[in-house]
Amino acid sequence: MRKITIIGILFAFISSFAFSAEVNVFSARHYDSDIQLYEKFTAKTGIKVNVVSGKDKALQKRIMEEGADCIGDLYITADAGRLGAFQAKGMLQKAGWSKAIKNVVPSQFRSAQWTGIAKRARIIYYSSERVSANELNGMTYEGLADSKWKGRLVIRKSNNIYNQSLVASLVKNNGKNNTANWAKLVVANMARTPKGNDRAQIMAVAAGEADIAVANTYYHALMLSGKKGAEQQEAAKKVMPFFPNQQDRGTHMNISGAGMLKHAPNKSNAVKLVEFLLTAEAQNHIVNNTFEYPMISGVSANDLVPGNDMSFKQDNKTSVKTYGAKQADALEVMLAAGWK
Amino acid sequence: MDTFSFHDYKADYNMRINTWYISSLLVSIVVSIPILTVFSSFFEDTSNYFEILKSTFLYEYIINSFILLFGVLIFTLIIGVGCAYIVSFYNFPGVKFFKWALILSFAVPAYIYAYSLTAFFENFGTLYSIIKSILGPGEYNKLIPKFDGMLGAILSISFSLFGYVYVLTRASFHYQSQNLLELGQNLGFSRSKVFFSIILPSARPAIVAGLALVAMETLSEFGAVSFFGISTLTTGIYDSWISFDDLAFANQLSFFLLLFILGLFFIEHISRRKAQYHSPSRGGVKQKKKLNLKGSKSIFAFSVCFLVFFISFLFPVLQMLYWTIIFPKNLLDLNILQLLLNTIYLVFLSSAVLIIFSFIANYGNRVTRSKFLNFLTMFSITGYAIPGVILAVAFITFVAWFDNNIIKHYELNSIKKIFIGSIIGLVIVYFIRFYSLAYNGLKSGYERINRSIDESSYLLGYSKIKTFLGIHVPYLRNSIFLIGILISIEIIKELPITLILRPFNFETFATTAYIYASQDLLEAAAVPSLFLILIASTFILITSRYILKD
Repeated sequence: MRKITIIGILFAFISSFAFSAEVNVFSARHYDSDIQLYEKFTAKTGIKVNVVSGKDKALQKRIMEEGADCIGDLYITADAGRLGAFQAKGMLQKAGWSKAIKNVVPSQFRSAQWTGIAKRARIIYYSSERVSANELNGMTYEGLADSKWKGRLVIRKSNNIYNQSLVASLVKNNGKNNTANWAKLVVANMARTPKGNDRAQIMAVAAGEADIAVANTYYHALMLSGKKGAEQQEAAKKVMPFFPNQQDRGTHMNISGAGMLKHAPNKSNAVKLVEFLLTAEAQNHIVNNTFEYPMISGVSANDLVPGNDMSFKQDNKTSVKTYGAKQADALEVMLAAGWK
Repeated sequence: MDTFSFHDYKADYNMRINTWYISSLLVSIVVSIPILTVFSSFFEDTSNYFEILKSTFLYEYIINSFILLFGVLIFTLIIGVGCAYIVSFYNFPGVKFFKWALILSFAVPAYIYAYSLTAFFENFGTLYSIIKSILGPGEYNKLIPKFDGMLGAILSISFSLFGYVYVLTRASFHYQSQNLLELGQNLGFSRSKVFFSIILPSARPAIVAGLALVAMETLSEFGAVSFFGISTLTTGIYDSWISFDDLAFANQLSFFLLLFILGLFFIEHISRRKAQYHSPSRGGVKQKKKLNLKGSKSIFAFSVCFLVFFISFLFPVLQMLYWTIIFPKNLLDLNILQLLLNTIYLVFLSSAVLIIFSFIANYGNRVTRSKFLNFLTMFSITGYAIPGVILAVAFITFVAWFDNNIIKHYELNSIKKIFIGSIIGLVIVYFIRFYSLAYNGLKSGYERINRSIDESSYLLGYSKIKTFLGIHVPYLRNSIFLIGILISIEIIKELPITLILRPFNFETFATTAYIYASQDLLEAAAVPSLFLILIASTFILITSRYILKD
């Protein structure tokens, strides 16, 4: 009798696992606002969203070790370079993105395995007191190597994925050798040994440690929003955004995205979640909480984000897919240049 | 000697009928998993596109680890011994308070200290706000020192670890013979000569033991060094394992690191023995006369202690409190009850498992007196010396290997789900990490129960189980309580293992704080950090009289 009860309980337990509507998300993006979105999704569809969050690489490692037994469906992370590299390891599968997704996400921001859900640009910030408009005229990423910036530039470390993706796009456009030379000159221009995150670079310009910084667009908006306190809000006002490469290919764009994991047990639910994240409602929620650019048209970015009207020229020529492909080259040229 | 060999014979005879071997063997096997995993995969394929850069990396990792270690040891030596000396030999206002207040630094993990340090001193940080509110707007950023990078890491680790040196040194000072001190004074030694020629040398084993613990923790520290972006052997192992899938290089680094750490483990072990030898605890201690300080000297002593207490404990707490107050939304957004329940759940489960197995091993060693069993347990407690990051990653690697090669071979159901990303897996790895804490804690309790009590119990016809449950367990109630609390403090603060192995939808205060911090949301990390410190502090206060055993 007892055996039967135990088997019954076990069966109920296992079946609840197998049949309940859910989607399992491994997320390296852990904004509280994302969790609120998942709750909205559950309320709408009845599909439960289970999340395990953590640092990008640790999550990847865990997914790989779990192999066929990994119950994760979606891998959500910032930066196409990460998604591309993970895809290259064979850990993602063709997602079967629905029409609803393909229609709203431009093809340079998605692959068969993953898709962007929000955009960001990596741009230059400058001190309006110490850098003249003339000096910045026609400024490009390539121009960061110009000796006029000697001792005036701050940028974070080479192990940072945003830098790796930016440099990967340069490798793609200018070739590895040229980029290697570029990296050496950039390192020579640095005002200090790289440290801190993007926000720290912007603050270094505000504090007078440097004249220009390279940082992602949402960091500045975050500071302007006052969410980082009154001092940083004030500091952010001392620093101006500049969109590089407007005369040629456009400004370096990147994404936050979701990839379909190789052994996803709830594939169709995962597609539904991504569809939801790309609705106007969800996009509005995202852009106003994380200060990213919307992935879909018809939604505008938060007023505090530079270029929120999207009138600047985006680099639509360089697919974000190349960031993963050229990542190893990018890291190699940076390390060889002594970029800490 | 004859009686001893008789005992050995008897022990081996008993061995056939008891289960102690099996359980101790099981524990040893579980604990040896990570070590064996690290060393057995030396010959696996490695990614080679960093081949050329490897020697540079290795050099950098070792140099950084050395600088970090050296800096932390100097700081903790000066702060730990200095404070211990002042509170042990002098009377001044607040001395009783400082005696226990200084150990509150144990409640602040190095990574939370690192967040506070950054928040306070960064450009436009808290210090900038303070100066601005007093002096009005101005260019203060350039005047504010920046404690980041290596210096930040050294300070963060030092202030969260100096307690080890303080506690052990203070205990040793406490038992120092008054006669010896008087002898020095009679010889006309100055106060400082007494300190350097008598007090310090006789406390040396305790100081070395404390420093060895600090060194082990420093080498395996992960949260603060990765926050400051310092590449040490430990972060190097993590990176090469996790980022580059380069097991061979990770193992090479692990080998160096474990070599270092096992060396320290050994030093600590020997020094503790010597420290016991030096403490005349059984001979009765002549109460030391504390010197009453007056005037400026008393103010100086107070200031030093207060400064250390302030920097090590109040400063991070105040910084986190400040953020919680100016960003109250973070407090409301956080599901504190859930985090608390998760933390309590982990703490109870892990403590229970640890204490039960430590009991079995201790009791096993006691009744069998087998040398082999003793060796097995000695081996099992080395888990403490292995950094949490390595334990967690090695555990996953092992489970995956075992599943792919053995379970699949026999066409059984996969065991990965049972062990990876589950509470069971988490508890097992905590077990490996903290077994020595539980085992040694109980052992020192057991050593105080005279073996003749066991004999009397058997003579009265009690079985071994009855002796164990009816006599040992009640007798060791205090030890169990103390160990439970010490394990709890460690688990509440534990970061890398929890981060890597926790299940879906499961967060603790430590993981929440870390995740916010890694997303550049330091101010949101303040709330979970504050709760973590408060809970750990409460536990420390409950056990302070054991930790500071006089």
